[in-house]
Amino acid sequence: MAPVNDVEVIDGVVRRAQQGDVEAFESLYRTHAAAIFALCRRMIGNDAEALDLVQHVFVRAWERLTTFRGQSSLATWLHRLGVNVVLEQLRSSRRDAFRLVEGDDSTFGSRSPGGQIDARIDLEAALAQLPGGARTVFVLHDIEGYSHDEIAQMTGIAPGTARAQLWRARRALMRLLDL
Amino acid sequence: MIDMLDARSHLTEEERHAYAEGSLPPEQAPPAEAHLRACAVCASDVARIRTLMTRVHGLPAPVPPATLDALWPSIRARIEASKVVPLPPVALQTQARRRVRHVGAWVAIAAAIVAAAGLGVHTNWGRASPAVAVADTASLIAVADSAHAYEEEAQMLLNQLELRRSMLRPEAAAAIDHDLRVVDSAIAELEEAIARDPNNPALRRLLASSYRQKVDVLKRVGNAS
Repeated sequence: MAPVNDVEVIDGVVRRAQQGDVEAFESLYRTHAAAIFALCRRMIGNDAEALDLVQHVFVRAWERLTTFRGQSSLATWLHRLGVNVVLEQLRSSRRDAFRLVEGDDSTFGSRSPGGQIDARIDLEAALAQLPGGARTVFVLHDIEGYSHDEIAQMTGIAPGTARAQLWRARRALMRLLDL
Repeated sequence: MIDMLDARSHLTEEERHAYAEGSLPPEQAPPAEAHLRACAVCASDVARIRTLMTRVHGLPAPVPPATLDALWPSIRARIEASKVVPLPPVALQTQARRRVRHVGAWVAIAAAIVAAAGLGVHTNWGRASPAVAVADTASLIAVADSAHAYEEEAQMLLNQLELRRSMLRPEAAAAIDHDLRVVDSAIAELEEAIARDPNNPALRRLLASSYRQKVDVLKRVGNAS
């Protein structure tokens, strides 16, 4: 089924999906899957886990679609749902995902053992090298535009810890990118 | 504090990041700017942070792998698994969509079949040839069992709904009650029709489907609350 791009048509498709029409929901999947994948990929750091999370997000979206009232765009609603699903996954699989470990920042974000940073390394690859908590906070703040208070609320960490994770992530990226 | 800085001090980590991203409180900006004009270390560091942020803002979205499109069947299977009975196969979906779109349309069809059963009219669904009679008997038992299972699940979900009712908006509660009345009315009519024609598999399938519909309505309420 071809993706649907027209906003008015999408409204109708959303309504049909809310009434249980799986083909309409498939159309929504085709339209929004790439954006949700991008979000999951950046927050989690690898393709395989990101693809698994995309499935979780859309299954959750199907279950919760009746709560979508159109107060935001469906893309925004799905985005927030995606963030919550990834954070749940991080919390359940890595109990200390957001804990800020005191100590030597060079434990991550350091250059390769050979001393020369790989010239091919790009920002996306550098992001993937960050530890989960720092990467998540960096993606939510610097890429997705959430405030520290929102991040604190979503992740359950203190706003001060969120800030510290962000600075740490930026420092690591600056080292990896040789800035 | 920035206004306490002298030539030997530097902006704190928080101040450098806040200045670079433009979130420094307005009253702290002038002294920070004054310091940055005089301190090459802090100015260079703020410039590096800004360079990173510029690169981040220009970052294209990750290219999805080709397997992203192939995920849909798995998602569909999980959606089906979460329902009480499986959705019809993809090949039959177009016909099924015409037949069952939402509760209102479904009830109209159920009512028509109930009426047909009441008039003694046999649908193709209900007509069993001798060759498939044994299979249909087994099917009747299975369908009756599934209707019973749906009925039990619906009752459990109804009990949960009653516990949550005080937290629902009045209009939401009224909409749920309306949907449930529609489905219950269809169930009652189907049970009456089955009492008159207990071996009609089409009616039993419809009864099972109507309980499934009720369970789906209740599950959606549960997910929404």
